Amino acid sequence: MTKVVAIALNTFREAVRNKILYSLVMFAAVLILGSLILGEFTLGQGVRLTRDLGLYGIDIFGVLIAIFLGVNMLYKELQLKTVYTILPKPIARYQFVLGKWLGLVFTLALQVVVMGAVLQLALLVQGTGIEAAVMKALWLLLINVVVVTSIALAFSAFSTPFLSGVFSLGIFAVGRATPDFVEMGRRAGGVAEVAVGLAVKVIPNLHLFFPSGAVVGAKHVSVHAALVDMRYMVFTTIYGLGYSVMAVAVAIIIFRKRDFI
Amino acid sequence: MSATCVLTAVGLAKTFRIGFFRKKVHAVKGVTFSVQKGEIFGFLGPNGAGKTTTMKMLMGLVFPDQGEASVLGRPVGDMQAKRRMGYLPETPYFYEYLTQEEFLDFVGRLAGLATADARKRRDQLIERLGLGHARGRALRKFSKGMLQRVGIAQALMGDPELVVLDEPMTGLDPLGRKEVRDLMVSLRREGKTVFFSTHILPDVEMICDRVALVVAGRTVSEGPLSSLLSAQVVATEVQLRPPTTGQLPDLPAGVERLMSGSDVRLDLPAEIDVDAFLVQAVNAGAHVISVQPRRESLEEYFVREANKGNDPSVPV
Repeated sequence: MTKVVAIALNTFREAVRNKILYSLVMFAAVLILGSLILGEFTLGQGVRLTRDLGLYGIDIFGVLIAIFLGVNMLYKELQLKTVYTILPKPIARYQFVLGKWLGLVFTLALQVVVMGAVLQLALLVQGTGIEAAVMKALWLLLINVVVVTSIALAFSAFSTPFLSGVFSLGIFAVGRATPDFVEMGRRAGGVAEVAVGLAVKVIPNLHLFFPSGAVVGAKHVSVHAALVDMRYMVFTTIYGLGYSVMAVAVAIIIFRKRDFI
Repeated sequence: MSATCVLTAVGLAKTFRIGFFRKKVHAVKGVTFSVQKGEIFGFLGPNGAGKTTTMKMLMGLVFPDQGEASVLGRPVGDMQAKRRMGYLPETPYFYEYLTQEEFLDFVGRLAGLATADARKRRDQLIERLGLGHARGRALRKFSKGMLQRVGIAQALMGDPELVVLDEPMTGLDPLGRKEVRDLMVSLRREGKTVFFSTHILPDVEMICDRVALVVAGRTVSEGPLSSLLSAQVVATEVQLRPPTTGQLPDLPAGVERLMSGSDVRLDLPAEIDVDAFLVQAVNAGAHVISVQPRRESLEEYFVREANKGNDPSVPV
């Protein structure tokens, strides 16, 4: 475990010393703080605007960072040949991949915490307290980016960063629109319904991690009200982490068989 | 395998498939050798002979298609063996955002050292490899030669019994090369085994106990240099001062005449009767400055074997 943590901390250090990451976090922070100004032009809807814009900003930038880091972390080790120095050390290949993944999770957790803190600050400025709905939404967004980065990591074990990025973004887009695809399949019927049924079994249902505005358990949920209950939170967390573990397992299986030429 | 054998390769072979059409490239076709405990073993071969691929197979970075290998008496990739060996890859790359201290601490953790032990070892190695002046500096600001030294330091972090170095002299100036040679000799003195690949032959002649020569993916010879190089005289170097009023005797065909100031240097092949030639030269009024019989050098041996190995008509 010490070795996995050593790889994770090194990955975390690499990520936090990356200027691109800072730019994206800063951009998200500017967007959230910008909502304070935009709120001045709305009639009593400033807080609502800040919540929506803030959470969408954290969602989109979080996913972009998750894909960027996920597709690059493993690939860079191969491209820059640092893996030649590390793998002959007393460390197993699975420990190496696990460490890279854990480092990514630390990094993404930090960026969600930083962007979430900026959002909470903007809400406090507007006179709200610390809201349970916003906290739950932030937790779900963190699980969302963990799932996305795990998928990106799995692709990067055998593909280039560009292709891995395209595949990961595609899976994110389809996964986020899972209920719409299911509905479209149901309406089309026949082969399309079967195909969609199979696809949603493989592609993660990322809609679960941004449920605001949806109907959950015959109840309309919203980040502006109570959002989801704890049972939902526990279920989605287990689902997201379970999916991530499977994606990392795929990355490990591919990585274990690879020749490092 | 004998008890003193720390590294063995038996019939290792590897074929890669490259490009869109998955064209086959036979990188290693049959490499066999063994390294004994406490020796400096040179792994020689021209560029593209398969040295680095063989080393990667021994380090578990590439899986062989055929053959067997063992490191410190255990299969390749075994954790116990990995704990007892250090490896420097060819043209090493490191995490350039780290300082050398951070990088060596990281390597120490991977080697399973306690934090205090890792720091102590790291500081010793930084001093031993002459990197003390670059403390606190990011690796991205290191020169190629300095990175090579960091590479050697990381290979030695776990105080390994077996040190495997792939082209350790690359990127080093003559002084740096000498320091690395001295380091290898001192490692042998400490009882460690050094296995290194190179094509810088003078280094090999100076420090290696035994060598293996790989040509076109196959081992063509293995053993102590003294047993590999021919003991027979292959040529005689003669230096003459020509007569002021006369000519040197006619030179046999194929012998080149090199001027060295007012003297003439000749490299007479073994088949020429040197005594008879010298008598003729002295009779013509020449003064003999020196006569030096020359045995086969490692370079000549290397070129001869490399040419033989690359010739498809010659069985190896």
